[in-house]
Amino acid sequence: MGERVAITGIGVVSPIGIGLDAFGKALRAGVSGVGRIDAFDCAGFDTQIAAAVPDDFDGAVWVEPRKAAKLMSRSALFAVAAAAMARQQAGLEAGDADPDRVGVVLGAAGMGPTDNDLLAAQARAMLETADSVGPDGWDIPAFARAFRARTNPLATLRGLPNLAAAHVAIQQNARGPNNTLTTACTAGTQAIGEGLRLIQRGDADIVFAGGADATINPVTVLGFSLLGTLSRRNEAPEAASRPFDRDRDGFVIGEGAGVLILERESVARARGAPVLAELAGYGATCDAYRITDERPDADGAARAIRLCLQDAGAVPADVDYVNAHGTGTRMNDLVETRGIKQGLGSAAQSVPVSSTKSMIGHLLAAAGAVELATAVVARCGGFLPPTINLDAPDPECDLDYVPTVSRPARVNVALSNSFGFGGQNACLLIRRW
Amino acid sequence: MSADPSLVDAGSLDQLVRRLVADVLVVPLEQVTPECSLVSDLGAESIDFLDLVFQLEEALGKRIPFTRWQRYLEDRFGTGDISRRITPRVVLEFAVHQSQAE
Repeated sequence: MGERVAITGIGVVSPIGIGLDAFGKALRAGVSGVGRIDAFDCAGFDTQIAAAVPDDFDGAVWVEPRKAAKLMSRSALFAVAAAAMARQQAGLEAGDADPDRVGVVLGAAGMGPTDNDLLAAQARAMLETADSVGPDGWDIPAFARAFRARTNPLATLRGLPNLAAAHVAIQQNARGPNNTLTTACTAGTQAIGEGLRLIQRGDADIVFAGGADATINPVTVLGFSLLGTLSRRNEAPEAASRPFDRDRDGFVIGEGAGVLILERESVARARGAPVLAELAGYGATCDAYRITDERPDADGAARAIRLCLQDAGAVPADVDYVNAHGTGTRMNDLVETRGIKQGLGSAAQSVPVSSTKSMIGHLLAAAGAVELATAVVARCGGFLPPTINLDAPDPECDLDYVPTVSRPARVNVALSNSFGFGGQNACLLIRRW
Repeated sequence: MSADPSLVDAGSLDQLVRRLVADVLVVPLEQVTPECSLVSDLGAESIDFLDLVFQLEEALGKRIPFTRWQRYLEDRFGTGDISRRITPRVVLEFAVHQSQAE
């Protein structure tokens, strides 16, 4: 067995709190971050609600020089802020680590251009050339002229998915491996898992690992809406995200970032770093089944859980808490419940499982990162965050989902699950250091 | 695109260029003096010039291909590493040149 990997700092930008302390307090209180969308005029949209990061969040204060913020998408700014907060908590000083041995692995969205400025420029250029659309096609050279005249060249840079990790590297002088995963809702979890592997295989000593996403924009909301996956409970936003509840009607889009500092044991010890938890296990599988349907037998999810336990040298009876993927779609809730039962066996009957998406919505590529942060908060704070809005459980969902209010508990070992469109399943395990 | 005609005389062009440089580089207006280096003193990097020329294009209401800016610098300074020689005065002279061009 090689060296262990410590989590020494966590930064969180979330709809219910900025920074780990504020986030932890809100989790304990069972606060909902869901409200009516005010980032754009959503009149007439089937879904008019989301969990947004509050307007008073000023990400630019974490950026140096200030000019750099101009090149950052909203999600990149979240990532940069979360990374800076994590570093602050870890007490990591410039001389503490060889920059060449510091890596970055982030989960990011890869949905193409959603930048409002870029979309507006495209739309205007299309309008100007709409008359050219006829039986012979569309006058692309005319569109190109109009687009060029309308589009700030920097807009494209804000849309590249790998730039959040690049900005974090520049801000943190992290000159080691720099990777971005775009595995949708599994990305944050896989980024942390792959960050763990970077340290284990000797490619880095410290890794900024996590995910960031900011998709409360017309294109993404409409896109998920067309797929029929979003809650339409517009009249009661705070009650809209209700995983495992009989009356759920889909997930609620959230935004934010979570970045954890993963650190090789010897490096953390040498500098006397505070350790929040050990990142001890990672398991990843794919259903190889269908794009959006999960395998009804939950085999992919169950295998990810079992591989994760095995990787950590743990057994199901060790697990004190599971932070569920828990999106609040019927399919996820049923398949995940089945997967946890198969993955943990008889221990599943007694282990508490909660979905904090009930409070913060689905942060998509950032979800797994903020949810692993949640598991660490549960460990350090001695409580189980609740599944709020779980008033009447779906009869087929029969685990202990920590309904409505948080519960004091001793958490030595916790799991966090993530499953994505495309069939990726991933699970992480943290435990007391 | 429609230019604000009041911007296109030389005195207000000077104000416009200073403001654009300050906006693009996110520095206080006072720091933008005629002879300071955008790169060495104000921290500009290559993509900031793309932004600056785009902003100038919007403000003047006329199309300014980035290649025209590159050619202007080459004609003036040659082809070496000339980026450090770009000052607000150089940008202003380019802007005057563009605003007078057909």
